[in-house]
Formats: sequence, structure tokens, C-alpha cells
Amino acid sequence: MQRMRQFLTLTRLTAVETLRQPICLLLAVACILLTAATPMVVMHKFGEEGKLARDSGLAFHFVCGLLIAGTAAGSSLARELRKGTASAILSKPVTRDALFLAKYAGIACVLLLFSATAALATLMCERVEERFVSTPALTGYVTDWQTGNLLLAAPVAALLLAGLLNYLRRGAFSSSAFVLLALCVAAVFAVSGFFDRTGRFAPFDLRVAWRILPAALLVTMALLVLAALAVALSTRLRPGPTLAGCGVLFMAGLVSDYLFGQHAATSAAAAFLHAALPNWQHFWVTDALSAGGHIPLPYVLRAAGYGVLYAGGVLAFGILSFRGVEVQG
Amino acid sequence: MSETPAGASAGAVVETSRLTKVFRDFWRRPKVTAVDELSLRIAPGEIYGLLGPNGSGKSTTIKILLGLLHPTAGEAVVLGRPPRHVAAKRGIGYLPEESHLYPYLSPRETLTFYGRLFGLRAGIIRSRTAELLDMVGLAHAADRPVGEFSKGMMRRVGLAQALINDPRLVILDEPTSGLDPIGCRQIKDLMLVLARRGKTVLLSSHLLADVEDVCDRIGILFNGRLRAQGEVAQLLEKRDRIRFTVPCLSTEQLQTTLALLKQHAGSEPDVDHPSLNLEQFFLRVVREAHRDAGSAGSTAAGGAVPAWLGDREEAVS
Repeated sequence: MQRMRQFLTLTRLTAVETLRQPICLLLAVACILLTAATPMVVMHKFGEEGKLARDSGLAFHFVCGLLIAGTAAGSSLARELRKGTASAILSKPVTRDALFLAKYAGIACVLLLFSATAALATLMCERVEERFVSTPALTGYVTDWQTGNLLLAAPVAALLLAGLLNYLRRGAFSSSAFVLLALCVAAVFAVSGFFDRTGRFAPFDLRVAWRILPAALLVTMALLVLAALAVALSTRLRPGPTLAGCGVLFMAGLVSDYLFGQHAATSAAAAFLHAALPNWQHFWVTDALSAGGHIPLPYVLRAAGYGVLYAGGVLAFGILSFRGVEVQG
Repeated sequence: MSETPAGASAGAVVETSRLTKVFRDFWRRPKVTAVDELSLRIAPGEIYGLLGPNGSGKSTTIKILLGLLHPTAGEAVVLGRPPRHVAAKRGIGYLPEESHLYPYLSPRETLTFYGRLFGLRAGIIRSRTAELLDMVGLAHAADRPVGEFSKGMMRRVGLAQALINDPRLVILDEPTSGLDPIGCRQIKDLMLVLARRGKTVLLSSHLLADVEDVCDRIGILFNGRLRAQGEVAQLLEKRDRIRFTVPCLSTEQLQTTLALLKQHAGSEPDVDHPSLNLEQFFLRVVREAHRDAGSAGSTAAGGAVPAWLGDREEAVS
């Protein structure tokens, strides 16, 4: 029980420290603003309106999440090992395994909050995208400007509210803004359900393509795998090399099917590398959503299982690596 | 793994036997021997000073005792257990050489966090946090982010976190670094109070005055080797000289006494007035200035040492 409390304390601290880093807030705000702006500023879509908004939203989710995972892991464990906060914690009755896993859990919590926000934004941006509407009152392409504008206003409202909280209660600006961003986007999501595409009040219906959600879940899973890699790397590397290592593994994982997968049957080395590198293609399945397609639940479960096993394996290596680390900071 | 390593003598709070630490380069070749066959024994209630120039192995020794570094050879026992044993760390309070604090947390959040790591109940954490922040003179800044603090203020937060668990062994690595003379005096007084209340203090410093003022015993490290060890008074005593201190004498009395001393000693004795050291003089001037200004609430003015850190209430300054 006490160990669990200790683990939760360390996890909470990691999450709070991550949320309080201005770079994480900047990335989250950038992700929401870019996602919200895409359907309103891109005009030439060649009949692929929904796809462009979906793919862009998920891509912003993936890229910004990747950067949050890399910087959070780098500044969390790698920097703490160098700057000495890790030595202050490990001089208390805390095992290295608990500290390592709590670091991952804290970053994972932040990524889950970010992913939930980004997924809601993607669902709404797909709704904002112009659609052909044919009603007695209106026939033609209609963009859901009201939802789009509300979504664009959400980060602004979150920043203003966080500023107000900081002024009134001296709360930490970055973490308040990050959490308020999630709340504001969720509020816009709920409010938009009371209006139709033309901005008129209508019976509650969210009018979003829920089939996007499995794709967003898989992107989230990819981010959790990447966070595991980043935290494991940060046991031995400095923050910069940790981020660079994440970038290399990301690129290598993207091309692993092409570079190693096709030679896996004939080369043991290729087979090993193909198995050892994270295969991001399993998590990026937005093409399956084209033309009204769905991602089957069994596929989502298999891909999520792959992600859980891969992240578990990486974390196990990370624990072994961290046990041998000499904390000199 | 056995709870108490072979060779550890009963009752010692810290004991090392031929402890050696060799740092290696990327290719695993020996780079530097930071600690070389160090054998130490620190008894309960003792203030032990580890002295040495920069790079002599003081901090490395402390990090081995905290289980942060692995010894290359030899053995260390802390509170009856190997240093990496989590249970050993329950009784240790550690102030690192640099105040390693989370910049975005306030002192109150920092102390709450460390209290939780020790599994203390919320009510105890709350009361100890308030008392410790008062003791180190930071009650007025309890909710400001630590990242905004001066080095001296960070040091005070570091000291407070080292005491949150009411430790049996307090390890202080360069505790007065970055503190003003008043802060230094408070830390030294605190060490004396802690020792009187039964705590063991291991102090690492290269500031000789700090060590001389408070330590019962010292060990001097050079290039990782223990060059001298013993009680401070004994090590510093000039056994071939005697000093008398008497109230002021008249010229006639002085002449008679000197003649008598010269007759017995065979040489001219030295006569002078005893003087304050600079620290004592500075503290006297500042106390007078505080009294004149009627101020007592600055960062420099620490509060009482909390009662739970022992059995008696005493003031730090």
C-alpha cells in the first residue's frame, strides 16, 4: 500500500513537472490551433474534404505528441540524473525500479490527457470540414464555421483563464493552461452538439465521425510506445541525444517494413531488426477511414496488444539499464 | 543478500571497510581512483566531519553511502544495512552539495513530496512542513516556485527536506555553501542541536572553520585516501604549549607574572588580548542592527528547531 502511494506520488510529480514545462503547453496549443485551422484555411480539397481534415488532425496529434514524449522523457529522467534531483529522490527509500516506472507513468498520463484533447479536436475538425447539404432552406457546400471558431477560441480561452488563475491564486500558468485547454476543448465538443452545421440550435447530437476514434487510439498507443523508448534511452543518454535517438527510432520504425521486412525471410539480421524496431505502420491506419471505411475492432486490439507488449519489453530493458546507472549528479 | 554485511560492528551508524571507488572511461579503463581503501566508523550521536580539498573523494564517499554509486571494492554499512537497501534510507536525511530541487515546485510542495516518499501521513507532513519552513526562515515564501529562489534560499529548502523524516543519520554535503554568515551559523547551531538530540551527523566540507566549530571527530581525505583522523580538540592541540587566560592585570602585576613565567619557561612568554573571530563579530553587529530596526521576519531569521526532531525545544539562532 505504501509502495503504491509512493509510486503515485512520483507519478504525480512527473506529470506535474511535465505539465509545468512551457514547451509542452506550446506544443499542445499548436496542435489544437493547427487542427482547428486546417478545415477553415485549406480550400482546394479535390473531393477529399473529410480525409484532409482527419489526416491532418491525426498527423498533428502524432507529431506534437512525439515531441512532447521526447522532451518530457529527456527533461524528466535524463536531466534529473544530470542535475541531481534523481540523486535526491534515490537517497530516500525509493527503489530505482519504482522511480523509473513512475517517470514513465507520469509522462504517459500527460500524453493521455494530450491525446484525449487532440482526438476531440480531430473529431470536431472533421465535422467543421465543408459538406454538401441539401435542405428545403439550403442546398450547397457548407462549412461548420461556428464549431471551427469555437475550437479556435478554446486555446485562447484556456490561456486567458490560466492567466486569471495565475493572477488570482498564483497557480502555475503552464500546467493550469494545459488542463484548461483539455477542459475548454471538451466544453466546445459538448456545446457543438446543440447546433447544426449552419449554426442553428438543434436537438443534441454530436454529429462527429466516431470511426476516427480507433485511429486516434492507435496514434495514442504509438505515443505511449515512443515514450517508453524515450524514457529507456534517457537512463543512459543526455536530453539532446535522447530526443535525437527518439527521432532515429521513429524514422527507422517508419521504414522498417521496407528496409528489413521484405528481407526478413532470407536474413536473420533483417528479421531481428524488423522485430526489434517499433513498427509505426501498425498504428497509422488513417487510409482505412477513406470512403467511409472503418477500422475493425480486432485490428485495434491486435495493434494495441503489440504496443503494450513492445512498451513492456522496452520498459523492462529500461529498468535493467537504470539499475546499473551510477547517479553522479 | 544478508541484512548486515560481515565485519560490520554493532552500534556504528556508518561503517566502511577498505572502501574503494574507481571511475572508468568509456572503454572501461580506470580513469581516476576517487576513494582509496577508506575505512571509517561513525558512532551514534557523533558529528563527524569529512574534510578535504576539491576532488578528494568526499562527495563520492557520501554517494556510495547513499547507494547512488557502486563501490569498486570494499564494503559500506549504513544504519546496519548495505547502502542500497531501501530500509537503510528510511533513517537518512541528505542535503546534497547542490540543492537539487524541482524548480516548478514551491517549498511547501517540495516538502510534501518528500514526506510522501517516506510514507508519512498527510497531517504529519502538513505540520512538519510548516515547522521546518519556519525553522529555516522560509514561511513567508512557502508557496513561491523554488526556481525563483536565491542559492541561499534553495539551500534552506534543501535542509528542510533533509529533516522531514526525522532522520537518525543526517548527511550534509557542503551545507553552508551559498549561505550568508548568519545562515552558516544557524546550520552549525542546528547540527549541534541535532547531535544533542541523539542524531548522528556526517558533514562534508572544505570550509575548515565550519568543521572546527561543530565536529566531534574529523577525517581528512586527500586523493581518496584518509590521511588523518581523530577528535578535533586532540588533533589541533599543541601539547608543547600552555595558554593562561586571566582577567586584566595592572602593569606591576603583569611584570611580576611575566618574570615568574620567564624564570620557569626559560624564554619570553607571548602576551596579548583574546579577540573575537570575524564570524562572532559579524553576528554581533547584525544582531544589534536587527534589534535597532526591530525586524525579525527576514529570511535570515530562522525559527525554533521543531520538537519532533528530538525531545527538547531549542532555537537555531
